[in-house]
Amino acid sequence: MNEIFEPKIVAFVCTYCTYAGADLAGTSRLKYAPNVRIVRLPCTGRISPMFILKALQKGADGVLISGCHPGDCHFTHGNYHARRRWMVFRALLEFTGIPSERVKYSWISAAEGGKFADLMNSITEDIRKLGPFDQYNALIKETEAPATF
Amino acid sequence: MTIQETYKARVKKLLASGTVKMVIGYKPGTTADRRRPHFIRTPEEADQLVLDSACITNLSGYLLSEGLLSDEKAVAIFLKPDGIRSINILAAEAQLNSEQILILGFDSNDNQVTALEGEKVEEFTTLIESIKEQAPEALKNPLLEQIEGMTPKERFAFWQGEFSRCIKCYACRQACPMCYCRRCIVDCNQPQWVNTSSHTLGNFEWNIVRAFHLSGRCVGCGNCDRACPVNIPLRLINAKMAQEVLGAFDHFSGMSHTQEPVLASFKKDDSETFIL
Repeated sequence: MNEIFEPKIVAFVCTYCTYAGADLAGTSRLKYAPNVRIVRLPCTGRISPMFILKALQKGADGVLISGCHPGDCHFTHGNYHARRRWMVFRALLEFTGIPSERVKYSWISAAEGGKFADLMNSITEDIRKLGPFDQYNALIKETEAPATF
Repeated sequence: MTIQETYKARVKKLLASGTVKMVIGYKPGTTADRRRPHFIRTPEEADQLVLDSACITNLSGYLLSEGLLSDEKAVAIFLKPDGIRSINILAAEAQLNSEQILILGFDSNDNQVTALEGEKVEEFTTLIESIKEQAPEALKNPLLEQIEGMTPKERFAFWQGEFSRCIKCYACRQACPMCYCRRCIVDCNQPQWVNTSSHTLGNFEWNIVRAFHLSGRCVGCGNCDRACPVNIPLRLINAKMAQEVLGAFDHFSGMSHTQEPVLASFKKDDSETFIL
């Protein structure tokens, strides 16, 4: 197979900053990798770690979580709570062997359309280099196998 | 008088005087080296009480049995330092009123049981502070360091091997004093976050979620470890998370009954080196 591997990336973004940033990238006609699927949420504080696990469970090769810069949260401190949660969850993922290259975190404001486009490109490139998440995919496959009695 | 006899006398006195309505302690178990929880309501029942180095279970979870504390009467309970920390956490999380709990503290070292001074959680603050000071050393574990030295692939393979044995009996959850949710996330089926079958994928998710929910709350009593029928080193993953919150936020679980839960609070200058 000489086909280029196209990674599937899920981005969980907050509606006030990063989603508006993605919008700005679009209206500014910036071209970025089409590999990313955006899921829009009210706030980064709403992003449960379960979302990350669910994305991986459904076959995502990479996950991006992004929201407002500290101090800019529409709900004043949703992103501060999220930051702590990620800090802990990130360490947990790393300890259980889910590579930190596959789960990325960023702050992108509504004015940073360029940053959004660049980040999507660089993440897609990074994950393309890593290849599919074979270890996790093997686990997913196991659940699909017919039952043996 | 041995410590067991001293405490037996004290328990009888507490019950006879009506200071407490119940004492939660230990009695002989199914084999010589096992102890089971003993719920003592009358002075006579206290005769069965056992207190020795085999009393290792953290009993604090029983305090949350439905209806036990709702009449606002006091309950006495035998606790080691880790159990006392559990009481602090449960009080901080508004699961119980620490005023209602009378602590019969003990500690065991080298098969030697010693009594701990104090009755109320606040009286153990200096003890818990000294435990926090020793924590960076105490949390170290050779296997943990070995895992940290692995590549992500090897780590994944290690945990895959461990979790593939999991049979999803949820004994870890039942044994844990911190797992008091009426409805656990694995029991939620709309949406179903965690695969309920005991495939390795679902096991992975379940154990990651549990470790996450225990980060900054686990006191390392080892109830889950001992309850696990397939010997998954659950305490290891919890110790790692305890190290993490101690290093990142200087948070040591169960310091006081007013301590803010680590994941329900924040500082504006929390580290964010990993955020792009």
